[in-house]
Amino acid sequence: MAGGGGGLELPERQRRGKKHSKRKKKKRLGFRIDMTPMVDIVFLLLTFFMYTTTMVTPQVMEISVPKEVEENVEVNQANLFTLYVRGDGKLFFSMGTDEPQPLALSDLRSKAVELNLLRKNKLITAFKPSPDAPYGVVVQVLDILNQAEAEIIRQLQAEGIKRERKFAFVKLSPEEVEKLKGL
Amino acid sequence: MPKIKKKRLGFVIDMTPMVDVTFLLLTFFMFTAKFKTEAEAEQKFVIKRPYASADTSKLPDKDIAIIKVGIDTLTGDTSYYYTIVNELQRRQVYDNLNFTPEQRKPQLKVGLDLLDQLIMQTRITGPRTRFAIDGDRRIRYKWVEDAIDVLRKNNATAFNFVTEKRQ
Repeated sequence: MAGGGGGLELPERQRRGKKHSKRKKKKRLGFRIDMTPMVDIVFLLLTFFMYTTTMVTPQVMEISVPKEVEENVEVNQANLFTLYVRGDGKLFFSMGTDEPQPLALSDLRSKAVELNLLRKNKLITAFKPSPDAPYGVVVQVLDILNQAEAEIIRQLQAEGIKRERKFAFVKLSPEEVEKLKGL
Repeated sequence: MPKIKKKRLGFVIDMTPMVDVTFLLLTFFMFTAKFKTEAEAEQKFVIKRPYASADTSKLPDKDIAIIKVGIDTLTGDTSYYYTIVNELQRRQVYDNLNFTPEQRKPQLKVGLDLLDQLIMQTRITGPRTRFAIDGDRRIRYKWVEDAIDVLRKNNATAFNFVTEKRQ
């Protein structure tokens, strides 16, 4: 692509000599600059920056755990809602001292909401991920519980109850690991 | 006799609007570009963060110490990496632990014992420093559980999991 080039040639008048140099400057009409090299560079830079930009900024999920305490806290077994994540990423749940039952990740939210509304603030959620469980699934479960929490707060507020969340990470005992393997 | 095609000489396209838009995009991408930190530039792993739904809280870039659990791309080994973002604090912590010049990297590959010492020193030098666990979604939960235990031991009971927004 040639850029016309008309603007780069010296006008005929100026070549004649010094005599005419004081003449009024004529407006240059149709003046053109060849933009091709500039466009080349600009596109190069543009593609570079476009490819290197990452649009996703990491976000955080806030977690708090209780301080290390020596004595164990006694809880009412009947109000205990336990969630397990097995080594292969499968989710299980149990109420109180019941046997763990499989639960699909997609059903977790409705289950958590339902149980919390039934027992109000008495329900204690214990989360027991197996040491072999994939971290991605563990975070996913926490995320679903956080989503459920928003709904629980709203529904309890409608009933005039202030929500107190009772949630804890609990370590899985070796016996429980074995039990989960057999399911 | 076949017609002879006339060569078009001096063919010109007005590139001005295109250049306008291109410059606009270029400046946008240049200003939004965020360059890798020193620590990220030399790490040999890419963390595939676990997905979570949209959250309003973003990872802060000040006053934070990050415990990364990454899988080495070459060997496939999982290990802990520790970064204190604040440079002054990092230097102070490394001084307190009598680190050799070779150990003074912005991002350290650590074991659980060293992690414990580093977290303790981080707590001493900056009581307001927050902690974040940045783990790969493919690692076993054991790695995170152990890191949480170390944090709890040092009385850091509130911390963050770094996640990525699900698309």
